[in-house]
Amino acid sequence: MPQCDLALWQQLNIFILANRDEIDSKRGKIVSIRIENVNKSFGKYLVLDNISLEINDGDFVSFLAPTGSGKTTLLRVMAGLEKPDKGHGKIFYDGVDVTDVPVRERNIAMVYQDFINYPSMTVYENIASPLRVSKNKISEKEIDKKVRETAELLDISKILKHYPSETSGGQQQRIAIARALVKNTKYVFLDEPLANLDYKLREELRGQLKEIFSYNKKGIIIYTTAEPLDALILSSHVGYLNKGKILQYDILEKVYNYPQYIEVASYFSNPTMNFLEANLVKENDDYFIKVTDDLKIKINNTLKDKLNKKEYLLGIRAQAIKPNRQTKNDIIIKGIIELAEVVGSDTELHFKYKDFRLLGLSQKIESYQIGNTIDLFIDLSKFCIFDKDTKRLVCRVGGEK
Amino acid sequence: MARIEFKDVSHSFEIAEGKEKLEWAVKDMNIVWEDGTANALLGPSGCGKTTMLNIISGLLTPSKGKVYIDGKDVTELSTRERHIAQVFQFPVIYDSMNVYNNLSFPLVNMNFPKLKIKEKVRKIAEILGLVDYLDAPTSKLNSAEKQKVSLGRGIVRDDTVGILLDEPLTVIDPKMRGELRRQLKIIQRDLNITAIYVTHDQHEALTFADKVAIAKDGRLVQIGSPHELYSNPVSPFVGYFIGSPGMNILDAKLNGSTLSLNGFKIELSKDITDKIEIKNSECQLGIRPEEIITSKERTTETIPIKVAIIENMGSYKILTLIKKNGSNRDLSIKTRIDINMSVSKGDIVYLKFPEKYLKIFKDNHKIY
Repeated sequence: MPQCDLALWQQLNIFILANRDEIDSKRGKIVSIRIENVNKSFGKYLVLDNISLEINDGDFVSFLAPTGSGKTTLLRVMAGLEKPDKGHGKIFYDGVDVTDVPVRERNIAMVYQDFINYPSMTVYENIASPLRVSKNKISEKEIDKKVRETAELLDISKILKHYPSETSGGQQQRIAIARALVKNTKYVFLDEPLANLDYKLREELRGQLKEIFSYNKKGIIIYTTAEPLDALILSSHVGYLNKGKILQYDILEKVYNYPQYIEVASYFSNPTMNFLEANLVKENDDYFIKVTDDLKIKINNTLKDKLNKKEYLLGIRAQAIKPNRQTKNDIIIKGIIELAEVVGSDTELHFKYKDFRLLGLSQKIESYQIGNTIDLFIDLSKFCIFDKDTKRLVCRVGGEK
Repeated sequence: MARIEFKDVSHSFEIAEGKEKLEWAVKDMNIVWEDGTANALLGPSGCGKTTMLNIISGLLTPSKGKVYIDGKDVTELSTRERHIAQVFQFPVIYDSMNVYNNLSFPLVNMNFPKLKIKEKVRKIAEILGLVDYLDAPTSKLNSAEKQKVSLGRGIVRDDTVGILLDEPLTVIDPKMRGELRRQLKIIQRDLNITAIYVTHDQHEALTFADKVAIAKDGRLVQIGSPHELYSNPVSPFVGYFIGSPGMNILDAKLNGSTLSLNGFKIELSKDITDKIEIKNSECQLGIRPEEIITSKERTTETIPIKVAIIENMGSYKILTLIKKNGSNRDLSIKTRIDINMSVSKGDIVYLKFPEKYLKIFKDNHKIY
């Protein structure tokens, strides 16, 4: 466990705790990065398409998207490593237009996907290097203090005398992060920093990143990732990108629980959400969203008022489908196992139900024979309904807070 | 297909250099890969899995020990004579040929009759889902399809005794990885081939294989089904490596029937103490995050501990709990809680360790 001894951050933390109410009431008002109508092209390819965003002090923003959606370009444009297309977009830090301010004159730090460290310098010198090139002369004593504090925070104190090549992949990325943090800049940009780590290191560093950045309450963290779990665990805000546009941007809980599009729901769920074609039908005096005779949900009047079409897509999270009973109202269906995939400490069950290929979840590591038929229990108290044509969210019922 | 066996296999790359004190890349390995089974070789980088792979395929002759295929000693046989197919990280295909010619190439080289070749290629293409691509140039294929062609070329021959898959999903586009993972599993099952899948990725190994061998520092640590490795790890390393987050491994001291951890004690029942030979000793307690009962209410025999980190995983939350211990090492435990249980950083929660899940390790071996 990294212990945060950074005096400044600690003071800040105490200040925040003491003034939490006041700060919280101001939250959402202190806009400190604003980007307006940004376009970015490479040759004839439009990579960012008219993006506008406002980011507040203290936000941890994740841009989540599959490869090739423009998230890294967006991060680089925000940091100043790329400029928006001429005449197409402006970027403001704390209300000041920085569109044409070169990156080295901005108060930012950057961490890349490949662990970039100076191979000929020790870990200590690597971490000290941003302080040595700083415009304000910093005393050796001060440098030493900051390097040691930051190393402590990232759990790399024991390897300060080593060279980067003598350290593990996880340690190399910690060194790179330490170099970014030692300057204590307001803006920190991280471009898929965990992507090149194997799963154990990723799991460890992800938990620690959350801890490390939780001390930096006033700064702004911008993070790109293709991993839904990273966004889920680390962020306060999530932006989902598709073909250079932001499809949805909001606080984490909103994006995760109220995905406005099927695409967002499908990508930003862990494991992937199931989508089933369903019809709105009237049986006797009741309305149902009906997938099959066995799988249908009774709809109350409030919900009925939102549904004016016949065909919908019913979204059910994999964690609502389990091989054991969850609630007394579970619906039981028969599924033919197509693959049991072990992920972490869970087993994801890919199975076939009638003509549907669905995904369920067992929260332990278990063996299943491909082709076997098993009972699956569906908790239908939580679901999303999407419009089949527009692919947009119509409503969401139940689910996590 | 065939049964492949390692008998007392060791290898050092330093024997040729004439060094006196040898570093062993693999040491004293005994393992059987049964006919027609799906197996995996799992371990972190540097564990010796690539060396093992090369010994199986015949690229490397081990310094000591024997390799058997169906009981026949093949230690000295070349790769060609062993008939073990191999799929590498990067698809190995002939770019200038179409899919059909790629698949038929090994058979043409063996002077198979044309009609027979056509029949065999067709059958393999059906299993791999490549029938519609047979006439297509390989440049038109995506990475997953190319990898299937490499696999198909390996298994098209009747005399292939087994297949080695060396991190076969590394360069596959993430979107297609899931599908190929599924297909590899089904192909292995349908063809009943002896398959050995080598990877550092627990997800791939545990999904593909019925039997997984875990290697560390050149030695086999444990061989078992995914469920066995998860529920009954023989060492702290396996406990931590399998599962996410891994098993909690906590330093402890055993005094008679009392297990003392940093800051709290657990009384062990006679059932456990009867089975442990050591009575007073340093040891390690192992328990998985999902096996610990975490509650907000204090009850008897619960351990109070402070919430340091909360990770929301979508279907559950992972808590990192820390108990400060003055000058001693802090106690850090991870637990898994229901998604609907609301906790905040700094809260105190109460833990209960059900006895049926406790594992006790000493000197890196399980003693209970």
